[in-house]
Amino acid sequence: MAGEFEPKIIAFLCNWCSYAGADNAGIARLESPPNVLPIRVMCSGRVSPEMVLRAFKAGADGVLVLGCHIGDCHYISGNHRTAKRIPLLRKLLAYFGINPERLRLDWVSSAESTKFAKVTKEFVETIRALGPIEREIKG
Amino acid sequence: MEYRNVLTVCPYCGAGCGLYIQVLDGEIVGVLPAKEHPVSRGKLCIKGWNATAFVNHPDRLKKPLIREGGSFREASWDEALSLVAEKLIQIRDTYGPQAIGFLTSAKCTNEENYLLQKLARSFFKTNNVDHCARL
Amino acid sequence: MAENAEILEALREHLAQKLKELDGVIGLRRAVEGTAPYLFHLGDDLSQLALEPRYPLGPIVSLLQKRYPQARFGVVARGCDLRALVEMAKRNQVDPQRLYVFGVACTGEEAEECHCSDPFPHLEKWPQGTTFGQPAPAGSPHPLLAEYHKIPLEERRAFWQKQFAKCIKCYGCRNICPECFCESCALEDPLWVEPGILAPPFPAFHLIRAMHMATRCVLCRQCELTCPAHIPLTVLYELIRQDVKEMLGYEPGADLEAAPPLSLTLADAAIRE
Repeated sequence: MAGEFEPKIIAFLCNWCSYAGADNAGIARLESPPNVLPIRVMCSGRVSPEMVLRAFKAGADGVLVLGCHIGDCHYISGNHRTAKRIPLLRKLLAYFGINPERLRLDWVSSAESTKFAKVTKEFVETIRALGPIEREIKG
Repeated sequence: MEYRNVLTVCPYCGAGCGLYIQVLDGEIVGVLPAKEHPVSRGKLCIKGWNATAFVNHPDRLKKPLIREGGSFREASWDEALSLVAEKLIQIRDTYGPQAIGFLTSAKCTNEENYLLQKLARSFFKTNNVDHCARL
Repeated sequence: MAENAEILEALREHLAQKLKELDGVIGLRRAVEGTAPYLFHLGDDLSQLALEPRYPLGPIVSLLQKRYPQARFGVVARGCDLRALVEMAKRNQVDPQRLYVFGVACTGEEAEECHCSDPFPHLEKWPQGTTFGQPAPAGSPHPLLAEYHKIPLEERRAFWQKQFAKCIKCYGCRNICPECFCESCALEDPLWVEPGILAPPFPAFHLIRAMHMATRCVLCRQCELTCPAHIPLTVLYELIRQDVKEMLGYEPGADLEAAPPLSLTLADAAIRE
């Protein structure tokens, strides 16, 4: 549809699980939305609130953080930190008037290529419904 | 083992915010805003918070330096001031008074600033006088 | 204030005793030009000891303990000072074993002025100390806090944007905070907070600060008192404190033995969303 809003999503993917999962989704020719820009980090625990905020400021309408399942982290407990940090950050975003649904945390292993495709598709639609980030960051 | 706070005034602008310099064994270790000061009431701007940064800064000049052959050498006050006077007069005579500008500082006293603007206006006949707090 | 005068009397006596064994006590000294933190020694005139205005004494304790690793100091601490010391101790900025706390209760008026919910230093878990005075009733909550929950999402941005437009980026909130001791601060990193623009671009500076303060802020309110632009910072930090309590079951400053949850595994500190 001409003129329909195409969300820009930045996805922080951990090297060992979710990035490999995304890779496998590509290899298996599963359809994933082109709106997602992947950024590989060594562990989802590396994703700091500053990075998420910078992504929003740079124009990302949504930020996706995908890590290993709890218990599978290559660094043992890196994703435990993510599991606590992201929900707190979502609350904080809400206090500032940024819709917390724009930040999503999920766990995707390297074998879960279908989950990757599903999560990204869902997330793009969620953000499409929310509209561009400019409304909430610049206003 | 002496720790105390010395009340002083921020040198950077005309507002004159009160601040405490934290001194530990004779060494400056930080700054605290003066909560009872009638002007600043316990608040400081970024310059005030960093008011003590210049005191022990490695770049701080301790002696007059004259540039010769691409590097600086130490000189006496007399030599330095004579050189400055000679050169400024030369520039004024060659290029006119508008070729010279005078910059004063909030770290000087009002009297020192008065003298410099008097020098600029009366002697060098230029109005090109400004002040670091305006920059 | 009558209550403060009694507390001061008892405090001075106890201090005079304790100074015989301690290397010094950090407290407020009233001099002719003003009242400021000072390290009292044996023989100093203790009639100069004062209890206000409130300065954050935690960072001074940390500074002295690091400079003199063998020394034993004391500190005159209100409830908020103690909470700050507790959180600093958990992060190795303060050594409780070498710090004697002279706990001082706040009066009802002081609690009201600070909107403080716990105007009393609880020394149960602190290795050594004494308290002076009785706990006063909690102050009523910050008026903006109750209002805030009524504001819908779209208007919240406008509220904070208006407040943070006043920010002159003096870093006062960070400089005065007892929990801010990082040697390299994210707020000074041009990667996260764009430099050269005033007011700092919304919401980077303040959102990053608020996030870093989660599980650390003890609501001493020094940041709000030091802000030249009168931004109601504590409203934001209080909201996050409530979230940290609900989601992580953690209250900064309450318990010296409770480890900060963000660096623990989920097994040791679960999250409830």
